[in-house]
Amino acid sequence: MVMFLMALSLSVFGLAMSALAFGAATRTQRTPEPALQPQIDLAPERFFGESRPAFHRQPNVPLEVLLLQIERHVRLEQAAAESFIHLPSSEALNLRTQSPLAH
Amino acid sequence: MADGYPELLKSLSADEADAVLALGRGLTLLSGAVLFQLGGDADQLYIVDRGRVNLTLPMQVFGQEQDILVEERVAGQTLGWSALIPPHRFTLKATAQLDSDLLAFPRSELLAHFAARPRVGYAVMSNLAATVGHRLQVFQAMWLREMRRGLELSRGTGGAA
Repeated sequence: MVMFLMALSLSVFGLAMSALAFGAATRTQRTPEPALQPQIDLAPERFFGESRPAFHRQPNVPLEVLLLQIERHVRLEQAAAESFIHLPSSEALNLRTQSPLAH
Repeated sequence: MADGYPELLKSLSADEADAVLALGRGLTLLSGAVLFQLGGDADQLYIVDRGRVNLTLPMQVFGQEQDILVEERVAGQTLGWSALIPPHRFTLKATAQLDSDLLAFPRSELLAHFAARPRVGYAVMSNLAATVGHRLQVFQAMWLREMRRGLELSRGTGGAA
C-alpha cells in the first residue's frame, strides 16, 4: 500500500511538473516579446528653423537679446566644430558648449 | 592683407600671387553695407583686405525674418566662391560688419588667367577646394551636434554640460 501511494504521489508530482513546464513553454510561444522599435520623435525645430523650445519658456526675451544669443550660439558651435576638425574624435564632436541655447 | 598673401594664393610664388592680385579691383564697404544678397548672381570672387564681413542666412524668429550669422570672413580670407562654382549663385548674404576693404575678382578674368597659366589655376582651385571643404566639414559637425540635441530634446534627456 505504501509503495502504491509513493508511486502515485511521484506520478502526480511528475504530472504537475510536466504541466508547469508545458505551460511555461507554450506561454512563451503564445506571447513573444515585442520587437524593440526605436522611437525617434524628432524635435520640431532645428538650427535654421523656428525658435527652440527654450525660447518659448522665456517669452519676454527681447528680440535683440535673442539674436545675440543665437549669434553666440553659432560662434560657440563653430568653435566646437573647428575643434573636432582639428582633432577628430567622438568626444570632440559631442563636446558641450556654454551656449544657453544648447541646454 | 595683414601679412603675407591671402589663403587663396597659398603655394604660389610671389610673382604668381602678385599677378593674380593685380586682377582684383579695390572695393570699400562701410559698416552695414551689403556686398551680395542670397540668390544673387555670383560673378565676382572676393578677398578681404581689411575689416570683417558677415555671411548670413535668413531665419524666421518670432515671425520676423532675421539675418543669422553663419560665418565671418576677415583679412586674408576668401568669400563669394560661388563665382567659381556652378551654378554661380550666392548661397549666403554678405554684409560688412566693420568698414572693410576687399579685392573683387571678376570670374571671366580669373578663368582667362588660369587658362593661360594652368599651374596657377590648379593651385588657386586647390586652395578654394580647401575653403569649400572646410565649410562642409564645419557644417557637417554642426549639423550632427544639432541633431543630437534635437534627439535629446525629444527624449527629454536635456543636455546638462
